[in-house]
Amino acid sequence: VTADWVVGIGSPSGDDQAGWLFVQALGNRLPNETRVVRLDRPGSALISLLQEADRVILVDAMQGGGRPGAVRHLVDGDWTRHRGGLSSHGLGVQDCLMLARELRCLPKMLDLYGIEIRAALPGAVPSKAIVSAARQLADQIVANWHKTGQVDKKSSDRSRNTN
Amino acid sequence: MADQQRTVSIHVPVLTRVEGEGALQLRIQDGRIEELKLRIYEPPRFFEKLLEGRSFDEVVDLVARICGICPAAYQITAAQALEKLFGLEPSSWVKAMRRAMYCGEWIQSHSLHIHLLAAPDFFGYDSAIAMAKDHPDIIRRGLKLQAVGNALMELFGARSVHPVGIKVGGFHHAPPRDQVARIRAQIDEGLPLAEELVRWSAGITMPQDDQVFTSVASFDAGRYAIEAGHIGASDGLLISAEEFEQHFIEYQVPHSTAFFSRLADRPYLVGPLARLNQNGKQLPASIQALMKETGLTFPGRNMFMSLAARAVEILYALVEARGLLDHYERPARPDMDVTPRAGIAMACTEAPRGLLWHRYQTDAAGRIVTARIVPPTSQNQGRIEEDLQQSLTAFGLEKDESALRLHCEKIIRNYDPCISCATHFLRLVVDRQ
Repeated sequence: VTADWVVGIGSPSGDDQAGWLFVQALGNRLPNETRVVRLDRPGSALISLLQEADRVILVDAMQGGGRPGAVRHLVDGDWTRHRGGLSSHGLGVQDCLMLARELRCLPKMLDLYGIEIRAALPGAVPSKAIVSAARQLADQIVANWHKTGQVDKKSSDRSRNTN
Repeated sequence: MADQQRTVSIHVPVLTRVEGEGALQLRIQDGRIEELKLRIYEPPRFFEKLLEGRSFDEVVDLVARICGICPAAYQITAAQALEKLFGLEPSSWVKAMRRAMYCGEWIQSHSLHIHLLAAPDFFGYDSAIAMAKDHPDIIRRGLKLQAVGNALMELFGARSVHPVGIKVGGFHHAPPRDQVARIRAQIDEGLPLAEELVRWSAGITMPQDDQVFTSVASFDAGRYAIEAGHIGASDGLLISAEEFEQHFIEYQVPHSTAFFSRLADRPYLVGPLARLNQNGKQLPASIQALMKETGLTFPGRNMFMSLAARAVEILYALVEARGLLDHYERPARPDMDVTPRAGIAMACTEAPRGLLWHRYQTDAAGRIVTARIVPPTSQNQGRIEEDLQQSLTAFGLEKDESALRLHCEKIIRNYDPCISCATHFLRLVVDRQ
């Protein structure tokens, strides 16, 4: 059973590719046992994936009013404060995480990173700030692994879930 | 206060579990509904223009983008219309596997609607997230069934959202036997869950609100219609897809960008309840026995029976898909050669939300000259307004705005409307005079 998953979520719409760019920047630099996947708006399938993992690093684009390219590390208290629009068509990452939390199927450790974006226009290329932010975050995750022997151990500990 | 005009605007900024953007204008005067307008915005119309000038082999992937939850319905309907136009008869393998894929779409769409969108209404929760706290097993069951549906779609389409497997003339790829066997095992695991779901749905206390309406659904002699058949109606109509435009009249209203549709000058119902009403007797004996045992009887006049109808269709789709995948053999070729030609053709299938009708005109090179797509939600608009009129009156117009709004949302959600894939809120404006 794969214990560690690294998930980049995105869509082909401009800066919304942030999660995919992160995975691309990671390349093959993490240990083979770590599953690294790119997902295109997975909907509730994300919940099934979360059930399979012990530890998950999840990277997605976010629009939180910050500077485009700014990386925000969201711990449990951050993403449970706001609720989005739940629907079968638009089941977002936050909805899935909240649903998974209630169903008690979150991984033991979940690290959620948001890369601030400005526009998500279909077919547009991502802006330089987003590409750069994705690379920096990937370098950080890899460096952390080299340092601790675990995928982002330090930040995982900070977002440990208790259920 | 009752004698004064009072306008109350209620905004529900998040989480109304309705697909897309909708607004409801309600004016109550002297205790009667004087005006009720459901305003919705239906994006598929843009696709019809977008398709013009495109080659026939681009159409299937383009129409998949109309809807993120029922792409296979659009793809299969388009492929079948174009195959008809080019004089092609797909192989029995292609027909069977398209039906199996369609089953997957019904399973995933219905499962999500029942558990994430509709169920909270009947258990007093404002969302599935809130409901999951107290009833995690119910929500888990929904997600498990939805996963089976997704797996079936991925088997043929490589992915469940905007799958890419279908083409004019067949499929791009035939899955290997071991992959089919794995999905078959997942279906077996899903069957008891679906039976449990039917029993559970039959036990939910629903508002009693019988209404008179016309049910419209495809009719396929010998089996429950999904991806093939004529168009039938509870008023006795039975026509081919080619005759659709002679009977079903689409028209515009000022308050909605989506077309309304009428049959014999009246609104009508499409979707799971209409299908059960029309074709319930074609279900396998085992499913009919379960329905009888649990007290589910169709035809039904209570619109809130739609939830149970979806549950029954999930069970049927699992049984049907299992049968279609039994003794699966990989064909030598999953498609056939296509020679385009000029012409016009129509096709219809049963999308999860109801009858979906396509019409294409091509030139000699197979480029689309004109396209027309009539999705289920636009057909149901008139029925939803009619239902709201009757249900709100029965509910009690004297109720406060909050109660009225919640009841309106409950009624609308019951149709599982796919209004758009953009924003998600219902804004209700009540004008009392």
